[in-house]
Amino acid sequence: MKLLSHTLILLPLLLGAGCGDSDTSSASGAWVWDLPDTVPPPRVPEDNPMSEAKVELGRFLFYDTKLSGNQTQSCGTCHLQELAFTDGLAQAEGSTGEIHPRSSMSVANAGYAASLTWANPAVVRLEEQALVPMFGEDPVELGMANMEEELLRRLREDALYPAMFADAFPNQSDPINLDSITKSIASFQRALTSFNSKHDRGSSALTLPEQRGKALFFGGTTEAGVPDALECFHCHGGFLLSQAVDHDGSEFNQQTFINNGLYNLDSDGSYPEGNQGLFDITNDPADKGKFKPPSLRNIAVTAPYMHDGSIATLEEVVDHYARGGRLIESGPNAGDGFDNPNKSSFLNGFEITEQEKQDLIAFLRTLTDEELLTNPAFSDPFAE
Amino acid sequence: MKRLGTLMVLSALAVGCGDDASATQEQQDVALNFAAVVGEEPFVCGGTYENLGADDASLVLSDFRFYVQEVEMKNATGVWVPVELAENKFQTGGVALLDFEDCASMGNEDLNELVTGSLPAGEYDGLRFKMGVPFEMNHVNHSTAPSPLNITALFWNWQGGYKFLRIDSGQFSGTDWRMHLGSTGCEGDPMVGGVTSCANGNRVEVEFDAFDASTGTVVADYADLVEGAALDVSDSNPEEGDDPGCMAKPADADCAPLFENLGLSFAGSTPGPQQFFSAE
Repeated sequence: MKLLSHTLILLPLLLGAGCGDSDTSSASGAWVWDLPDTVPPPRVPEDNPMSEAKVELGRFLFYDTKLSGNQTQSCGTCHLQELAFTDGLAQAEGSTGEIHPRSSMSVANAGYAASLTWANPAVVRLEEQALVPMFGEDPVELGMANMEEELLRRLREDALYPAMFADAFPNQSDPINLDSITKSIASFQRALTSFNSKHDRGSSALTLPEQRGKALFFGGTTEAGVPDALECFHCHGGFLLSQAVDHDGSEFNQQTFINNGLYNLDSDGSYPEGNQGLFDITNDPADKGKFKPPSLRNIAVTAPYMHDGSIATLEEVVDHYARGGRLIESGPNAGDGFDNPNKSSFLNGFEITEQEKQDLIAFLRTLTDEELLTNPAFSDPFAE
Repeated sequence: MKRLGTLMVLSALAVGCGDDASATQEQQDVALNFAAVVGEEPFVCGGTYENLGADDASLVLSDFRFYVQEVEMKNATGVWVPVELAENKFQTGGVALLDFEDCASMGNEDLNELVTGSLPAGEYDGLRFKMGVPFEMNHVNHSTAPSPLNITALFWNWQGGYKFLRIDSGQFSGTDWRMHLGSTGCEGDPMVGGVTSCANGNRVEVEFDAFDASTGTVVADYADLVEGAALDVSDSNPEEGDDPGCMAKPADADCAPLFENLGLSFAGSTPGPQQFFSAE
């Protein structure tokens, strides 16, 4: 089973990172990206070069319940490896029981996100993003706000961490600090690349139904005779299968937020209050219902779907796009998403036969990277 | 009638980066008093306060903290002169944290009711400052920032900044009435690696034309902050995304009267004068 793997060696970045602070970790092993030659390395901040020691420390921290206030949850609680680092829930539940308005996103390939989380153009670095689940209060996730000293104490008193931090940050005299924690977790997340799916082995690796589905996905003509009827790839194209991509060679800000017609509560195209996507940041009514188009890699194992987990299966997702928006007939969220004034012009609906639908879903299932789901290097070190 | 403050003379410590011009000029110390009140009563952490807001609500207040920046005093010729803030655990890089809580679940035992610094020797009779943290300090790596910019309860990471103001009732449950203010509408750029601009800075500008540092106090009044605001948490509907209080989200209608009282634009409104701070 020969992979198209081409190994890129990323030399420890010796780029001048401001004043003489260096936690460059060349002592602990140069980092080697294991990526196909179709995929560029992710952007790595100059002040946080990759190293094996840091990634391994980040893996421990990612899965450690010491990172929640009441020590009941870790990052891994809502980002399970076997579900491509999602949790299978419609909406995440924090360590204190608070229900998050949003569904846990896959952390796979997070290093390639032009913006992090579902709809926030401000959060562009994994190191910064890590502070949101740790210290955020609205909603409470890990619930560590005001407990930073307690967190550091827990790690300093641990049997393993002092040596691991010293190894990952060899030039720091007191390496157990908030900065090294977020840098390690971010490094682990950048290492969670996932480009080893059947789809990555080329069309010849796909069955005929999968090939037909792939053609429909990338602009093929439907049986109804409409070219590019499905228009999937406009938002979900490229190596990431998301337009909202950033990588080592990106020269432009490719943040993308679109409205896909899930709700339409009023003439403004409102979504349920408190969960209106980009609008919650910008307050521009034209941004109501706009969310990042997530990568479709591993999509078959990350149900339920959409920012609020409101669609349960891939079949229903295809039905949603075939209709060009969701009709909710009654209740507080009643409205026809088809008519949402902010809806993307790519969502016009399409005619699709049952066979075409099954072909499309067959293709989406080829996007699963089984190695990601089982790779011991990404697994929970505390699991029995 | 107005006494001009006799300010203590400082042994000329050149604070901050070596600026030769100011190093040769004689500096004097200044200490600015701040106080937190709720109407006629002093703020006491854990105290119960009545008749608040539009619905005469009763609240147990716990947290009461805010940052100030760009502290300046007006000299005898009417020129505003920057106060060079001292460096200590409540002050760094020209930013100071005023901290009136010592019992909040998200707080600590330390209190700070003073802003200290120095400025060229002379007489000063006015004070101005902003409640906030300057943009260039607001959107840097919080994990390596010095105190008081390393307090996680004042992180505002969803916008890459700090909470400029934090006033909470209760001890952190879903029904507490909380007011958190920071910059909103922020945009980032993955190539820059951080926030590049914010549509709403939300820094509160405060100016007292007459202020004597030796006798005066800057008073922050919670009752004035929440005047006209609906505080009764039973009016909120968390199930439908309407949490009690104001986290400065532009779409949160609970914020409108608070922003007005802070002299800030809310959802395009034209701001008037702030009424949260007064000089006594």
